[in-house]
Amino acid sequence: MPGFIERYGTVAAGLLLIAVFVVFAPNFATPANIVNVLKDTSFLAILAIGFTLALVVGELDLSVADIASLAAVVAGWLVQMKLDPLLAVLAAIGIATVAGAINAVGVTVLHVPSLIVTLGTAAIARGFAFMITQGVAFVGRWPTGFTGLSRGMSFGVPNLLLWLAGVTLLAWFLVKHTRAGAHMTATGEAEEAARLSGIATARMKRLGLLLSGTLAGITAVLLAANLSSAAPNMAGDYFLYAIAAVLLGMTMFEPGQPNIPGTVFAALVLKVLGNGLVLLGAAYYVQDIVLGLIMIGSVAASTVLTRRPAFANKLNFRMRA
Amino acid sequence: MAAPLLSLRGVGKNYGAVIAVRDVDLDVYPGEVLAICGDNGAGKSSLIKVISGAQAPSAGSITLRGAETRFRSPHDALAQGVATIYQDLALAPRLSIAANVFMGAELTRGPRWLRMLDKPRMAREARAYLARLSVAIDDMRRPVEGLSGGQRQAVAISRALRWDASIIIMDEPTAALGVKETAQVLDLIRHLKSEGRTVLLISHNMADVAALATRVAIMKSGAKVIDMPADGLGPDDIGHMIMTGRAA
Ligand SMILES: Nc1ncnc2c1ncn2[C@@H]1O[C@H](COP(=O)(O)OP(=O)(O)OP(=O)(O)O)[C@@H](O)[C@H]1O
Ligand SMILES: [Mg+2]
Repeated sequence: MPGFIERYGTVAAGLLLIAVFVVFAPNFATPANIVNVLKDTSFLAILAIGFTLALVVGELDLSVADIASLAAVVAGWLVQMKLDPLLAVLAAIGIATVAGAINAVGVTVLHVPSLIVTLGTAAIARGFAFMITQGVAFVGRWPTGFTGLSRGMSFGVPNLLLWLAGVTLLAWFLVKHTRAGAHMTATGEAEEAARLSGIATARMKRLGLLLSGTLAGITAVLLAANLSSAAPNMAGDYFLYAIAAVLLGMTMFEPGQPNIPGTVFAALVLKVLGNGLVLLGAAYYVQDIVLGLIMIGSVAASTVLTRRPAFANKLNFRMRA
Repeated sequence: MAAPLLSLRGVGKNYGAVIAVRDVDLDVYPGEVLAICGDNGAGKSSLIKVISGAQAPSAGSITLRGAETRFRSPHDALAQGVATIYQDLALAPRLSIAANVFMGAELTRGPRWLRMLDKPRMAREARAYLARLSVAIDDMRRPVEGLSGGQRQAVAISRALRWDASIIIMDEPTAALGVKETAQVLDLIRHLKSEGRTVLLISHNMADVAALATRVAIMKSGAKVIDMPADGLGPDDIGHMIMTGRAA
């Protein structure tokens, strides 16, 4: 089993980074800023948990952000039309789940590598989002029944954080403590072995990709509700961040393996880093450069930590002959 | 002699124009270690794939415990008590020993609908299976990639024990192993034999075959040409039979 350093080294580094910003970044440790960072972390983490679930079954889902944008637009459109907010929410999550189902069919029925299918779905989702909005954004005074999902408080805690906690706990429980999770993990780790053991590997792949879509839908609803607006590319900024969160998360807790606690903590670290850099006066482009370095560095670190190439047995999104 | 546990009658397997197995009759009796030998390409693996459910036979029938059956998949065969130990294919290197032993058949607890894993019980039982094979490993959470080749085989065999398989098929179980690990695997097979389980062993190592087998079947160009008790046969005798296709 990987030792303490391998499991918690980057976690400690992340905590240290947060501590550094708390001490040195002006206005970082103010309640308003902290709530802000945590909210931003919530959107990112929920989206990235979806990406994680797809990766657990050995598939890449590069469509999460565009599916989220489409779902947000659908929610905004229906709320704007004065539809019951509940229906708008269900429609948004539904459309995102359908998009996930399309990815699932592409991978398990049509046998197109997930890298290709999800890029295709992403383009299609983006097209529909622009079609629905005609390129502009839906903005308005939306009912609190909708915006409250994201902006409200329950039990003295921002709803957004409750969503994050709920999704994190459910996803973690699914992956680590249920038979379905064990089958998903086995499918992603060793598809042939899983199949020989009677695991329905195609069904597990569909489950992972479907849940990834659903979580993109939940992210979309929370984003739109928080901003009272929905634009055709509103989740676009979260795309690379979500991937980076998963990759950085794979250096934590269970090195080399996509894991929910790692993803969530990495999302927090990335958002703290982004926020801290802004507060320290770094130019806007520095964030992108740092993000890219973290993505590459994380995978290299996983390789060092586990002493074997990261992704060595997650080749499904590579082109297969 | 007792009734055969498994019988093949007229089993054939073609891959397109290639005839890999032709018209094989084979009876496997409870508790024996049956070695299947033959040159490269003789059809051993193809025959085994039919018995393990990996490939459907092109011809012939399979009878298990007196009733005709067919194996729709390796898992179906496993569920009927015929387990195959694949070289490394069937283990997930980064998953724990317990996860590997119980892969596809995890133990659960709590409400049925929740299907929550019973990790403590799986760890306990996995440890017990390994102990039965005289392999003492304490931490069942260790990934199998950190184990020796012999220990990995023991994990694969433990999975067969978890299914209480009566027939255990091993295709070249020692091919990739060093001397010490090979000895360990031979010990594992002896353990299975002493538990009264039936082992089908494919091996190119005549010394292993001579040491373990109770019966030897020799294949040549897809057909079974020799089938005889192994008592008194030495490695050279078996090698000679494989070359000539005639009993020593
Ligand atoms: N999937 C396949 N498609 C086509 N031909 C095959 C296939 N598998 C095996 N064969 C052919 O069937 C014949 C028997 O092969 P098989 O693998 O059963 O032999 P073997 O006795 O196991 O040999 P070895 O000792 O080398 O493992 C060979 O001629 C082989 O080329
Ligand atoms: Mg072979």
